[in-house]
Amino acid sequence: MLLIHCPYCDETLPEPEFTYAGEAHVARPADPMALSDEEWRDFLFVRSNPRGTHYERWRHINGCGRFFNAIRDTVTDKFAMTYRAGEPRPNLDALKEAAE
Amino acid sequence: MTAQIHSFPPSPAITVETLPLAARFSLRLRPEHREEAKAALGLPLPDRIGRTATEGARRALCLGPDEWQIDAPEAEADAIRRALPRGLAHALVEVTDREVTFRLQGPAVLDLLAVGIARDVSRMEVGRGTRTVFDGVQAVLVREAEDRFTLAVWRSFSPHVEELLQRGAREIALGL
Amino acid sequence: MTQAFRIPGAGRVDHAKPVRFTFDGKTVEGREGDTVASALLANGIHLLGRSFKYHRPRGIVSAGSEEPNALVGTSRGPGRSEPNTRATMQEVWDGLTVESQNRWPGLDFDVGAINDRFGRFLPAGFYYKTFMWPRSFWDKVYEPFIRRAAGLGRSPTEPDPDHYASRHLHCDVLVVGSGPAGLAAALSAGRSGAQTVLVDEHAEMGGTLLSEPGVRIDGQGAWGWLDAALAELRGLPNVRLMTRTTAIGYYHQNMVGLCQKLTDHMAAPPEGAPRERLWRVRAGQVVLAQGAIEKPLVFDGNDRPGVMLAGAARTFLHRFGVKVGHRAVVVTSHDSAWHAAFDLARAGVAVAAVVDVRPEVSRVLTGQAEALGIEVLTGHTVTGTTGRLRVASVRVNPVRGGRVGAGRTIACDALLMCGGWTPSLHLFSHTKGSLAWDAGAGAFLPDRKTEECEIAGAGRGLWGIAAALDDGAKAGAAAAKAMGRVAGVGTFAVEADRTGDGVVVKELPTDRNAGLAKAFIDFQNDVTAKDIRLAVREGMRSIEHVKRYTTNGMATDQGKLSNINGLMIAADALGKEAPQVGLTTFRPPYTPTTFGALAGYHKGSHFEVTRRTPIDAWAEAQGAVFEPVALWRRAWYFPQFGEDMHAAVARECRAVRTQVGMFDASTLGKIEVVGPDAAAFLERMYTNPWARLQPGRCRYGLLLGEDGFIRDDGVIGRLADDKFHVTTTTGGAARVLNMMEDYLQTEWPDLDVWLTSTTEQWAVVALQGPNARTVLEPLVEGLDLSDAAFPHMAVAECTVAGFPARLFRVSFTGELGFEVNVPARHGLALWEAIWAAGQPHGITAYGTETMHILRAEKGFILVGQDTDGTVTPGDAGLDWAIGKQKKDFVGKRSLQRPDIVAKGRKQLVGLLTEDPKVVLEEGAQIVADPNQPLPMTMIGHVTSSYWSEAMGRSIAMALIEGGRDRMGEVLHIPMPGRTLRATVAAANFVDPDGLRLKV
Repeated sequence: MLLIHCPYCDETLPEPEFTYAGEAHVARPADPMALSDEEWRDFLFVRSNPRGTHYERWRHINGCGRFFNAIRDTVTDKFAMTYRAGEPRPNLDALKEAAE
Repeated sequence: MTAQIHSFPPSPAITVETLPLAARFSLRLRPEHREEAKAALGLPLPDRIGRTATEGARRALCLGPDEWQIDAPEAEADAIRRALPRGLAHALVEVTDREVTFRLQGPAVLDLLAVGIARDVSRMEVGRGTRTVFDGVQAVLVREAEDRFTLAVWRSFSPHVEELLQRGAREIALGL
Repeated sequence: MTQAFRIPGAGRVDHAKPVRFTFDGKTVEGREGDTVASALLANGIHLLGRSFKYHRPRGIVSAGSEEPNALVGTSRGPGRSEPNTRATMQEVWDGLTVESQNRWPGLDFDVGAINDRFGRFLPAGFYYKTFMWPRSFWDKVYEPFIRRAAGLGRSPTEPDPDHYASRHLHCDVLVVGSGPAGLAAALSAGRSGAQTVLVDEHAEMGGTLLSEPGVRIDGQGAWGWLDAALAELRGLPNVRLMTRTTAIGYYHQNMVGLCQKLTDHMAAPPEGAPRERLWRVRAGQVVLAQGAIEKPLVFDGNDRPGVMLAGAARTFLHRFGVKVGHRAVVVTSHDSAWHAAFDLARAGVAVAAVVDVRPEVSRVLTGQAEALGIEVLTGHTVTGTTGRLRVASVRVNPVRGGRVGAGRTIACDALLMCGGWTPSLHLFSHTKGSLAWDAGAGAFLPDRKTEECEIAGAGRGLWGIAAALDDGAKAGAAAAKAMGRVAGVGTFAVEADRTGDGVVVKELPTDRNAGLAKAFIDFQNDVTAKDIRLAVREGMRSIEHVKRYTTNGMATDQGKLSNINGLMIAADALGKEAPQVGLTTFRPPYTPTTFGALAGYHKGSHFEVTRRTPIDAWAEAQGAVFEPVALWRRAWYFPQFGEDMHAAVARECRAVRTQVGMFDASTLGKIEVVGPDAAAFLERMYTNPWARLQPGRCRYGLLLGEDGFIRDDGVIGRLADDKFHVTTTTGGAARVLNMMEDYLQTEWPDLDVWLTSTTEQWAVVALQGPNARTVLEPLVEGLDLSDAAFPHMAVAECTVAGFPARLFRVSFTGELGFEVNVPARHGLALWEAIWAAGQPHGITAYGTETMHILRAEKGFILVGQDTDGTVTPGDAGLDWAIGKQKKDFVGKRSLQRPDIVAKGRKQLVGLLTEDPKVVLEEGAQIVADPNQPLPMTMIGHVTSSYWSEAMGRSIAMALIEGGRDRMGEVLHIPMPGRTLRATVAAANFVDPDGLRLKV
């Protein structure tokens, strides 16, 4: 049972309050009909599936109800940070350097 | 049919009762319209998740950035339904009948809640509330006093929750 | 029995309180405070069971939870029996029933012991080699044989009547283990004010201190100091002490699972008390003070009853006041066993000799031994034991320059061994913390940590009570400081501490044929040193492969005693150093844990949530049969006068088609969509157009995933310009709301619209049939129900039976229909009012089965039954539900994907069997040519199939490749023993023109 920081509630809370919601920063195209079959396929099905740092979405479904973004290491399951939906993708390396 | 008030089991450490229905609304609006809504409702809407505000017999609990639970006596329900102007973009949805609210009280109340809630409830201040999970069931928990909480769950989940509260209260009464 | 081996007044048991239990039917007397093991030993009973593979006689090896041998069946009545209980952990109580395991007909004479004679036919990898061929033997011969031979102990056959509990717990510092290191850590943390939890798996706290009463701490005896320390901890309000509590697993972010045994030690547990409780602890810091586990030595006959760990003998002596024999021999590679020999000698046990494999041992030790009249045999090895059911003698030989000299035999009834100590780092391993070989300590010690934890005492290779106390105090203080507390580090004045060191050995040298030796490494799985060497010879290189090939360490004790010895011997056979070979991974749980504890409250009626509607009680009183739908239980059908299901459902169907039926539709998902942009939002979510739907009207809504496949459907009513009442399928309610919130919050946050689940705000009664209006009309106020004023697909707010209501004119049956929504508290009263009003009009309650049939007769789909996540609107014949003018909606783009527009997709059609009495099986596969060879080409499957009372024949729906182009075609459904024929038809069987709605 992981502990997850909700950036809206500003509290670190147990995993049962949350649900996972897939990779982050996959925006729905503004005009899907303008996309080629290949572009639409990539949007629908192709994900990064990295070993290591993963930008992903969670929802505090049994809390404030908000979707938000998180950076989690898929090897250690450790969260680097969480941030609100709509905020730009943080540069993790820059954050790490700043912390050091 | 009105909900009956009943207590079980007789234990000085814990009492569990089901509260009679009172009016409950879910109010949704953009945070920047809080002041307008406050003026119309005569009830402040807290700006931080988990905070409550009360005015007379009405209480607002902030559950999300744009979500408040409004509790009020049944007699005030109509007034609340009519309070907010059409020009104010909002959603006011009555959820009185959706939920069953338990009141849990006693010195062992934190132990009882720990039977079903994974978060650290002891850190919750009096007068705060939150949506959380009790034994897999979504619930709204409010700390009314050091040793008194309300726990509201959707109607169809209430027998499951009540059964577990009863089991937990028995364990506490047994001292095990 | 007489407890001939009990020392009066000694130990921590209560000599004034005798306890009687039975062992294999014979009454045994122990003392309150005894374990089954100590009570049996007090009576001279060493033989407790037969081993797993060879059925060799086995006794007690250890005094703790690492015990691999002394596994017994315990029972307190029907359903309350447990196999493989460790006799060293189970406390005795009056009336406890204990049985030995894995023996037939009896413990003293066991038929299976023949395996021991043929042991050379059961080598490592026996299963892999023997059961390979002939292949046909597997089902009939090999598997039944393996199944009969496998497993240890007997599972209870009755349901477990006990309750199990669980609870969450949060603390600053969790200390695991209450030996000197754990106690000192808890004192540091507790005194700092940190919320501290100290747990121990034993019945009382103290760990090693319980077995070392001679040590003095701060001027007091060890037990006096222990009492004072525990009294101080109990007096601190921020400290919680938990005994009989095992930390079974250490998970992410300092979550530790604890299994607390609440009643297994009680003769008369309180009525309704839970047997065990699983605690999920979230700790800021964890201090692991689990000590170390003594290693057995590996020599021929090291498994005979009476051969046990030297430290265990010391524990039985000091903690329980029990001598493990009258005449003992000690064999060791470590100083600590010498102290055991001294303690036993002082307690009156004749210690014949101390055999130490080391040529040189401290003069202090040998001097003491000689003073106590113990023969000192340094530079010696043990090469065998004798005794049928109990050790009777040990054969010892000198070793000089690597050569084993002539052996001599020493008579004994207890042989105490010590191969050194292994730090207990199982929980640390659960965290993926790494271990590093420490040549000085001769052990793997904690290296890189992944969690906020400290390891204290023997877990870090620190031997002795002074070192453990100091290290624990520091660890506890560090943990408290990490939690923001000001913590001091206590110091302890320790006298008579008995530290020491030793050497790491593999199997002991022998002058006999090592190939014939039964030198056990894993007692529980009967793995010998020879098996490990054979595995290496046969090509196993990885320790993981050696483990699986030999099953070393794979028994329920997870190799607590065997892993290190197995590794040392494997490393030797591989010609490598231990750290190059590496350890296998320990996994939770630390000790075997009951399924009851893991299940907790979730058994029986509380196994999972059962949601009931406000009308459920009425259905139950009417004798309804229920079926589960998502988490709900729904009335399936209402049998009357002894009807079977078929008769009841046929009657319900007839009533709806000819008179009127009523149905509890409360479980339908409901979402209130409110806000100025409500219509715009629904335009984007659903395939249908919403902008021009007038308030007071409803429409069927179809929801796709972005991939173009059907996700959900339901009727949506517009109550006002900015307010919609959306219904979803019963099972889809939560999923649909989550999907809508996802789009609203993350794709279109600019829309002013909000979603509220009102599923449970409303109770819903569906009234369907030609008499529906007649029944309803008198109950309705404020609304004209005539077809002209309130036509099909109308919605209005009104009063029904005196309750505020939302009334929909909708039909999921093809009949004139209404759905009345009232606040849930009034649901039952509304139902009863309609029921009463309908009596003159033949009203009949119907359940979900009838509902399913009536909709199938109209060809209406059930999402999740006729669709499976790969069905598009086109496949389902729902193209009409797509707003052709809409530029975009969720899933629209996918409807042009190449594979979606391709020819030959499976399409939903009707299917009529040639024999009208045959009802096809749902899920049955469909083929075009019944005579093709296997495997046949399947072109579709049956999705829905029923007896249609209205048609007087069976009907079915099916997804079939190019189905709509096959109208009239005869297809085949191969079933066991016969192949059925059916004709493709339109999936709209009753009233295809919909005339019955227009009344």
